[in-house]
Amino acid sequence: MQVLDKTQVEAISQALGEPGWVLERRLKALEAFARLPYPSKKDEAWRYTDLSEAPLEGEVETPKGLRLSRDELPELVKRRLEKTDVSGFLVFVGPDLVYAEVPEELLAKGLVLTSLAEALKAYPAKVEATLFQGVYTEDKFAAQNAAFFTHGAFLYVPAGLEVEKPLGVFKVLEGGKASAGRSLLFLEDNAKAAYIEEYLSSDLSPTLHLSATEMVLRPGARLRHAHVQTFGHGVWHFHRQRALLERDAVLNDLVVNLGGRYARSEVASELLGPGAESEMLGLYFGHGQQHFDHYTLQHHVEHHTRSDLLYKGAVKDEARAVFSGLIKLERGAQKTDAYQANRNLILSPTARVDSIPQLEIGANDVRCTHGSTTAPVDERQLFYLQSRGLSRSLAQELLVKAHLADVLTRIPLKALRAHLEAVIEEKVRI
Amino acid sequence: MNQLEIRDLWASIDGETILKGVNLVVPKGQVHALMGPNGAGKSTLGKILAGDPEYTVEKGDILLDGESILDLSPDERAKKGLFLAFQYPVEVPGVTIANFLRLALQAKLGREVGVAEFWTKVKKALELLDWDESYLSRYLNEGFSGGEKKRNEILQLLVLEPTYAVLDETDSGLDIDALKVVARGVNAMRGPNFGALVITHYQRLLNYIVPDRVHVMMDGRIVAEGGPELALELEARGYEWLRERVKEEA
Repeated sequence: MQVLDKTQVEAISQALGEPGWVLERRLKALEAFARLPYPSKKDEAWRYTDLSEAPLEGEVETPKGLRLSRDELPELVKRRLEKTDVSGFLVFVGPDLVYAEVPEELLAKGLVLTSLAEALKAYPAKVEATLFQGVYTEDKFAAQNAAFFTHGAFLYVPAGLEVEKPLGVFKVLEGGKASAGRSLLFLEDNAKAAYIEEYLSSDLSPTLHLSATEMVLRPGARLRHAHVQTFGHGVWHFHRQRALLERDAVLNDLVVNLGGRYARSEVASELLGPGAESEMLGLYFGHGQQHFDHYTLQHHVEHHTRSDLLYKGAVKDEARAVFSGLIKLERGAQKTDAYQANRNLILSPTARVDSIPQLEIGANDVRCTHGSTTAPVDERQLFYLQSRGLSRSLAQELLVKAHLADVLTRIPLKALRAHLEAVIEEKVRI
Repeated sequence: MNQLEIRDLWASIDGETILKGVNLVVPKGQVHALMGPNGAGKSTLGKILAGDPEYTVEKGDILLDGESILDLSPDERAKKGLFLAFQYPVEVPGVTIANFLRLALQAKLGREVGVAEFWTKVKKALELLDWDESYLSRYLNEGFSGGEKKRNEILQLLVLEPTYAVLDETDSGLDIDALKVVARGVNAMRGPNFGALVITHYQRLLNYIVPDRVHVMMDGRIVAEGGPELALELEARGYEWLRERVKEEA
């Protein structure tokens, strides 16, 4: 039975009450999805990735219209809400926006934080101007998301509005059927906001999760964005995000992969206007059979732009991680600063990291550096710490945290940092 | 039985035998010096006492208050009250001294140590060492000068209060002021419940930490023992005469 077909796309679009142009784009994406083959190890960007156990071709879940009160939210979310930085948020359970809490004062100032479906009804022009601008049909999974996404979050920050407290979304994956969602973050001129996406689930049978995040930053806009994935076992997570930064726009981005069976993050910053700046942080720690792929792009299109990437990770047991980062400078990208560093700590002889930093430079008056290190845990350091009474596992935990510290200390979101530290601690002890 | 006893200890690294039957006893309440020329095996002995996994013990035993610690991991030895001040303290970026030291103290005591209790202890040690509190928030030994590293070792000694300490060339690379500070730290620990083995190449440190006994190591074994005057004699005459004597005896 072919389930990923036109009938299902139409059914999703109809269930969400979407305007015709969205269905049209969905169907175009479906064509791309049907045309593109699933990636294999023969593809350069997939050569380290084994998808043979991935639940690729299953049915996509459909919205049920579920709503919950704050008390009825899943425990996973409630626990996170006890200690979170966000002051306004959406909660998705499966494809349904089950709960939303956005401060009135922000709404009064013109801020929008709602589901994509709602936004398409209430603010069609704003969505039409930006949806699919960042991520559309770049590969099989992006196309599948564009055709079959059942839910999404929409953030709009009007010109000049500076939101001090972070906003965010919690997505709880239920398992069984595949789930596809999007985030569209649109900041007008000189707007400022912070936005945290958290992806949660309990341990599940093999489940496919597709996510796409599009960020549009108009001139002078500043966005702090975090994509934090702490799924349970069994989840295959394919995430693609792309930020479009206009003149003097600043993005501080963070991608965290700690959960799931497999996670792939394709993260791009497009520096489209002079003065644009992108900080790109990454953090990952794999255990058991986990496999994390990180593909990053720092794309300097215009002159006087700046990007600074730091991805740090650790792997233990039989876990694998891949970092493949490209700094790409167009011919007009003079006076560019671009930095890229990837550092990996290997905690067991059966864990493995492949790190591939790449530069493609079309301009000559630039400052560019990149570097990559992958090393086992330092036995001298372990012995030193142990000689002071710390058990080997505590010493290892300390060294993992120390390794990840320079990413963690660059995250000014205190509750998020504490949460990540706690998850890392737990994983060291597994 | 209140003593650190090394009994006919043979040990090697990468197939090369470094220790060739070391016998040495440091009773609790005493400070002993271990001297000897470069390459005698002094530092190796220190590392083996602490349980450095790079070395293989071929034969013999190490007894702490009558109990063998040979099969214990480095952290278990530390919990039994043994402490090694490293000749080359290891840099651990990302781990602050405060965090590390509190964890170590908790491990040693086997219980939670409150912030107030910890700070009281650390402040006393810092004052004795004439060291600034700001060091505590720095990463462990990262970017420290040789002197700062050694001072940090003594800080740990004072806070963890081991029963037996081995100080491996803690004097090397120190100017006279730093040397005095280190000696002040060690002397503060002296008492009926503390024993120490001070490993040094030179007599200089022993002007400030006066040992109860002096042992001399050459080619992997103890070749001479005596009172503090032995250190002075070695300072005056060098090690050659002793080497000759050992040869003759053989």
